[in-house]
Amino acid sequence: MVATAKPLEHTLLEEHEDPRQHLMLDPKPRGEMNAMVMDSMHTTSWKFWVVAILLGLVVLLCLFGAWGYLIAEGLGVAGVNRPSYWGIFLVNTVFWIGISHAGTFVSALLRVFKAEFRRPFTRAAELMTTFGLIQAGLSIFMHMGRVWLSYWLMPYPNERSLWPNFHSPLSWDFLAINTYLLASTMYLFLPLIPDLAMARDRSKGWRKVFYRLLALGFRGTEGEWTHLRTAMNIFAFAIIPVMFSVHTIVSWDFAAATRPGWSSTIFGPYFVVGALQSGIAAVAMVLVVIRATMKNMKYFLRPEHFDAMGKLMLIVSMTWSYFFFNDYMVQWYGGDKFTQMLLEFHEKGPMGWMWFAMLICNVAVPFLTLWNKKIRRTPGLLFTIGLIINIGMWFERYIIIPISLTINRMPFTWKLYKPGIEILLSIGTLSFFILIYMIASRLIPLVPVWEVQEGQMAHGLRKVGKAVVKTVSDLE
Amino acid sequence: MSEIKTLLALFADIDPAVQAIDQLREQGVSDEQMTVISGIPLTEAMLGRPRVWSNVPRLALGGAVAGMLIGIFLAVVVPNLYPIQVGRQALIAGAPTVVVLFEMTMLGMLVSTFLGVFLDSHFPSYRPKEYIEEISDGKIAILFSIPDEKETVITSALNGIGAQSITPAERRQL
Repeated sequence: MVATAKPLEHTLLEEHEDPRQHLMLDPKPRGEMNAMVMDSMHTTSWKFWVVAILLGLVVLLCLFGAWGYLIAEGLGVAGVNRPSYWGIFLVNTVFWIGISHAGTFVSALLRVFKAEFRRPFTRAAELMTTFGLIQAGLSIFMHMGRVWLSYWLMPYPNERSLWPNFHSPLSWDFLAINTYLLASTMYLFLPLIPDLAMARDRSKGWRKVFYRLLALGFRGTEGEWTHLRTAMNIFAFAIIPVMFSVHTIVSWDFAAATRPGWSSTIFGPYFVVGALQSGIAAVAMVLVVIRATMKNMKYFLRPEHFDAMGKLMLIVSMTWSYFFFNDYMVQWYGGDKFTQMLLEFHEKGPMGWMWFAMLICNVAVPFLTLWNKKIRRTPGLLFTIGLIINIGMWFERYIIIPISLTINRMPFTWKLYKPGIEILLSIGTLSFFILIYMIASRLIPLVPVWEVQEGQMAHGLRKVGKAVVKTVSDLE
Repeated sequence: MSEIKTLLALFADIDPAVQAIDQLREQGVSDEQMTVISGIPLTEAMLGRPRVWSNVPRLALGGAVAGMLIGIFLAVVVPNLYPIQVGRQALIAGAPTVVVLFEMTMLGMLVSTFLGVFLDSHFPSYRPKEYIEEISDGKIAILFSIPDEKETVITSALNGIGAQSITPAERRQL
């Protein structure tokens, strides 16, 4: 029998794929791209202002108002009480730190591996890191109650001769989160300098002053580019272990305690993957919103980018499932009486619906949908899947923190956590995140134009046999 | 004695800019008397220019060492000054020390890398400089200094290569 090769239908389709659907193969003159990005920052419809004002009101009421009330009345107005001393404040802290991981992951890791699809949206992701960390910090301050004493965390010789205990994961948290906040803000700022200079050259009035101050006098000389590129390379490599350390240390807040459900050697990587799961989904959501609401963004953010993000979401979802099952299996097999009770409580207790919803959101939905290229390339659907994943990841943190705290080794203390003012404060932090992101989108060039142009310069088409394929040159 | 003049030649693309650099060298303009200004990073290899020295990696290393020393102070010296006994852990235990050292080392390294860019590039600098806005639109500018009498020869040579404009470089407020 003779085997004959026949071209598959999809191969034929791909052969006729228009290369211009890829941003890197559809270049525009730099001046035009600059104008598009500036235009996107300057164009704000009435809808933008309505949403901004509404969000501002929610922030005023739910964040500052409710927080003021919490400070005035004390932590009694929150639901945290024995045995769940850690409630939604800590759920939100872990959640927002998770969101913040995506910026660094997308930007640094993909930069190190020269994944070209990252180019137009690294900044949008990096902004999420900084703004997400602000929400995480606010949530910690809320949890403290007496927020004005937060400086006690600082390592300095105070009048009582007390120093923070550096054996405590909470002290490590302080160091790690602050390192990450500083590092990610600097990493956001460095590649922004050339774009701020571009904005400076095209602005008037207060914007001109604003961009001139932030652009620091950048012109684009060989020396400036060399120093900038060297620093960005160092940052891209060094910030990755910092990113991993932050969520690992956050996981040690739990894993270092010998509590049922928490004492796990796999919590570090499990938390890191969880952070990436929610963070990447959030980046995809933000990109969809930016594309839909900002002028000219359809040129920069294309189905290929959503496709790539969808693939990442699927891979991370598989990894999260692996870690979740690994953690579950070992806890289940261990045979500890209270751990067994906790696992049963997760599934069959009053919050069992949340446990199943978590699995549906984090495993079933991405597994069943993201295999499909059409779904991945449809912004609206990807947004919905991202939202579902983020709900699932918030549930996951809720299950790990207040629900797991319900079952401990002292059954007489068992009591289900019921949140109070935390709900308002959660709405407040979410609104604050969206609001500052919206404001930033009108002040900061969200697309790193110089990186896009650099990428377009490096890309070309080459004929291999009968096929025309994409090629990328290494410009560095 | 002839006067030294600083000119700014503008090119639309990298190839004529590279040719212009070679041409300027042929006319006796040394690499130190030229500066290439561009809207995207162009490597020395692309431009055929000598390597730009950067202190950023050394500063990063110095910062890492400084950060590590601060970490050693926090994790090793402080527990001796203000002892807090935790369970059966040693006063200066290995694992917690590693965590503190790692975070402080990375913090020191990244902060000094960031500051290194400022130091090496003389940021912030708000003084007037030789610059034109077309550069951020993707044009490539060569800023060079030549003796007055060579201006005509060099200008016509660069125009022949494809310079879009050659103007006396003016310092202006960015």
